[in-house]
Amino acid sequence: MTLSPVTSGYTRWDQSDRRLVSSDETEWFAGGTDLIPLARSGVLDLDSVVDIKSSHLERTVQRIDDRWRIGALATLSDLAEHEELTATVPAIAQAVSQSATLQIRHRATVAGNLLQRPRCSYFRDPSISCWMKGGSDCPARDGRNEHHALIDEPCVATQPSDLASVLVALDADVNIDGHDGSERTVPVAELLQRPVADRRSLHTLESGDVITSLEFTDPGTSRSTYLKAMNRAVWQFALVGVAAIVDIDDRHTVVSASLVASGVDSVPRRLTTSSETLTGRELTASSIASAADAAADGLTELSENGYKTALLRGLVQRSLEPMRGG
Amino acid sequence: MRASDLDDWTTGTALDLVGSSVDRVDAVDKVTGRARYTADVQLPGQLTGVIVRSPIPHGRVVSIDTASALGVEGVVDVLTADDIDEISWYEDDAPLLPGIVRYVGDEVALVVAETRSDAERGVGALSVEYEPMEFLTHPDDVERPGAPELLGNESADEVEEDGRGDVDEAFDDAHIVVEGTFRTPVAIHNSLEPHGAVADWVGDSITLYTSTQGVNDVREQMGERLGLNHNQVRVVSEFVGGGFGAKQVAWKPTMLAALASKRTGRPVWVMNDRSGENVAAGKRNGTEHTVRIAADPDGRLLAIDADVRADRGAYAVKGEASAVSGPYLHLYQCARVRTRVRRVRTNTGPAVAFRAPGYVESTFVLESLMDELAGELDIDPIELRRRNHSSRNQQEDLEWSQPEGLLRSYERVAEVARWDETDDRDETDGEDEHDGLLHGRGFAAHDWLAASAMPPGHAGVEFNFDGSVHVSTSAQDIGTGTRTVLAQVVADELGVDISSVRLSLGDTSTGPPAPTSAGSTTVPTMAPAVRAAAAAAVDDLLDAAAEHHGVERSSLSFDGTHVKSSAAAFEDQPLGDLLSDLSPRVVHGWGGRETIAEDVSPRAQGSAVAEVSVDPLTGEVRVTSITVAPDCGRILNRRLADSQVIGGVTQGIGFALTEEQVVDHRLGVVVNPDLNEYLLPTVSDTCTIRHAALDIPDLRANPLGTKGIGELPLIAVPAAIANAVRDATGIRLHELPITRRRLLEAIASSEALDHESGDHR
Repeated sequence: MTLSPVTSGYTRWDQSDRRLVSSDETEWFAGGTDLIPLARSGVLDLDSVVDIKSSHLERTVQRIDDRWRIGALATLSDLAEHEELTATVPAIAQAVSQSATLQIRHRATVAGNLLQRPRCSYFRDPSISCWMKGGSDCPARDGRNEHHALIDEPCVATQPSDLASVLVALDADVNIDGHDGSERTVPVAELLQRPVADRRSLHTLESGDVITSLEFTDPGTSRSTYLKAMNRAVWQFALVGVAAIVDIDDRHTVVSASLVASGVDSVPRRLTTSSETLTGRELTASSIASAADAAADGLTELSENGYKTALLRGLVQRSLEPMRGG
Repeated sequence: MRASDLDDWTTGTALDLVGSSVDRVDAVDKVTGRARYTADVQLPGQLTGVIVRSPIPHGRVVSIDTASALGVEGVVDVLTADDIDEISWYEDDAPLLPGIVRYVGDEVALVVAETRSDAERGVGALSVEYEPMEFLTHPDDVERPGAPELLGNESADEVEEDGRGDVDEAFDDAHIVVEGTFRTPVAIHNSLEPHGAVADWVGDSITLYTSTQGVNDVREQMGERLGLNHNQVRVVSEFVGGGFGAKQVAWKPTMLAALASKRTGRPVWVMNDRSGENVAAGKRNGTEHTVRIAADPDGRLLAIDADVRADRGAYAVKGEASAVSGPYLHLYQCARVRTRVRRVRTNTGPAVAFRAPGYVESTFVLESLMDELAGELDIDPIELRRRNHSSRNQQEDLEWSQPEGLLRSYERVAEVARWDETDDRDETDGEDEHDGLLHGRGFAAHDWLAASAMPPGHAGVEFNFDGSVHVSTSAQDIGTGTRTVLAQVVADELGVDISSVRLSLGDTSTGPPAPTSAGSTTVPTMAPAVRAAAAAAVDDLLDAAAEHHGVERSSLSFDGTHVKSSAAAFEDQPLGDLLSDLSPRVVHGWGGRETIAEDVSPRAQGSAVAEVSVDPLTGEVRVTSITVAPDCGRILNRRLADSQVIGGVTQGIGFALTEEQVVDHRLGVVVNPDLNEYLLPTVSDTCTIRHAALDIPDLRANPLGTKGIGELPLIAVPAAIANAVRDATGIRLHELPITRRRLLEAIASSEALDHESGDHR
């Protein structure tokens, strides 16, 4: 354990000098709400940190025509407190305001929120070897996996971001300033990928790449919600969360539905069957039940997390019920 | 003067400050950060020590390479087992720094450096070679036939039996038997302030600033091990950020700081970090209870039979689950009771007393079964308890100090929680048509064994020459408000303004002996002691005044500002003037509480009502209100009593719903040793908390009628919540905490049962 994680190698980002950030050993630092605990616990050795908190990157949240643009340095609190955004897409404020604690939300940035390391307790214990840290096995698969994903993969950590599920439901994009100087736009759903043997990470961002902003199309009259289940009222990563964006026409028929779950996969998991089940149907107890029943399709229960399938179905039902009528 | 020499404070005694909501006398110091806690102590030349802990659950320490750590800039010293002569620890007399570690977190070495960062870098550089040994962290595995004897388990041959009457016979022909196996979790105290100390060794004496519930016990324990007289050890604990039982003994950081200070010749600061606090500073034992109770058709208990297993961890520490059989033995009138307790050792951190140790656990079990019994017999849960009321200690054949206290608690809690008004089950329970939530309420009663005093408790009261008052005792205020309550008592006894009273607390060098703050006994011990000291000081004042003025002693009196006489020629004399006249004579008094009630069994009992709403689809349990009615005797300060209620209820919510230390039994590792993953209840997890205050002076327990409140408001809360969940859902949870997983799994298996039996309710 090291109280002062960085004694040397701290640099403020100068956009003109790319070399600083094109090494695997270099970490971006903005809010630091994930990086500092990882370094303090000894999971990460921070040899080189590049601070982008006071860089040129944007912190603004704005709508330009029908597109929302959120600067990479906007904090979770900035989103929660943005009146127009909250009124338009309540799910965003619901997701961020149920994340962590107020103190953390004041520091944590939206880009950093998408790039968190796994919150798996085995991953976070420096004395335990795990697949994600380069080891051969995942101790959670047959261990204490009550909080883990319902998947049969080499790593069963969940994607910890609540916001990510809402962004995927909105088909949001991230704008990336690439390490080679190129700029590109990538859907959040492509940024956040299940880890594979030669990329043991919950995301696909390469060394030296930096997220500059997020963008998504205003969902207009669609209703949105994010429900989150925790074992206490606040301050726990989602056991399961459900983001729902549903467009319902004048005749109460679902024009489109986009349901995405947190806490059940190592990515925000699109509940494709549930979403398709609803489309073209009126939102009734029966159609909601069909969507809920289909929510856990394709998921694999581990030794201690089987309850999550019931929880997922329950949250899907609870997320859709208030959208009926009115 | 002894407390017993004075008249009792009866219900008729005129009291001014006592009973009112006086502000904490140290409130401003605390909220402005002026109050100095152990971690705040900064002495010239002070070094910082960081503990090196075992990463393996069982194994031999083969070697420790200290050179690499000593090479780190700023590192001054590394303390290992090789440097320590024959200092043993815990009740087992295990080595302070063991050659065979017994759990992940066991102390292996101390790195001492100029700063904390330096010390932590030293810890990082230190290399320790271990030879892993077989380990068992789950008590089921320890008890499995053929399991290896790793830690000297006494479970097989040392079962503690207690009880009365022929239990087995009663079950044979009982009208109804209710039974079950229940489990309670390992819970961690997680006081705001961790364990730790600053040691300052000067010459042949040592001063220890330490966060403790018992400065005198720490002095004795440290003195004994260091080969020092009591007067060579000064222990200071002026402000304490909570203890909850985990700080009632000296812990290793204190001894490690002392040894390091001696070696380096400089003061040394050693505080646990939060992870150390979660793995190596005590815990509430995980317990398993297999219990059956038998009753007649009216619900009167015929027999109670309880088998309890407590996981004590790798070492034995004083006080852990000490009274786990208490509720079975004492809460109800019952002629036949048998309790069998076995304590199992596992390769996990040591258990220690935790706010009502053993009682919270057993009360959850017994009161769950009583709730089942009430349901089976269709008797109102409170009425069932009334029918089984006991007015005496059946084990010792003594009447309770307050034989009707529990009945008063039932009345009061029912009134404040509107139990009878919401009795119609159809209206309050079951599914709400609008939101699909289930609503329920639950009741639970509790016993508590401490209520009288834990002598000796002594105090001195001195009039300064300006008329202000100085009270000294070594009793510590662990955050409950002891300092304030004792000031109220002294001010009332003297008749002076509370602002003129100052207390020196928590310092063995300035105050006479006082008990460890445990078992809700600080106030019942120390309030009579300071009152006697104040009375003795007035006696001394009037003796001196009589001599000085040459008047009859019996004609004199003191009203808080003036000394007066019934003699005609005597003019009222202001206190300050008199004290100046008397100088250099010092006016003071000494008081003590040296006895406990013996002709009765002192008791502090109570009850709780919980209301919950449950979402059966998501397993969410929300506690909407808790009402508690603890019989703590005379309430000395209502606001501070309310604070204890709020804290106790909140811990009860945590024990029922959120808190559980989780161990990976294949690796022997705690997987949630921090506050991110060990879920303490937050403000959002609390609810409407009602203190249905009783305020009944119990003069048979205590001359001031006060019994202490610390433990009481917690004990029945988890049981009441579990009973409320049962009421809402129809499902009896046999294991705490009631997480989403446990509730959803229980709902799923109950639906499966219904399905099998064709019961589609």
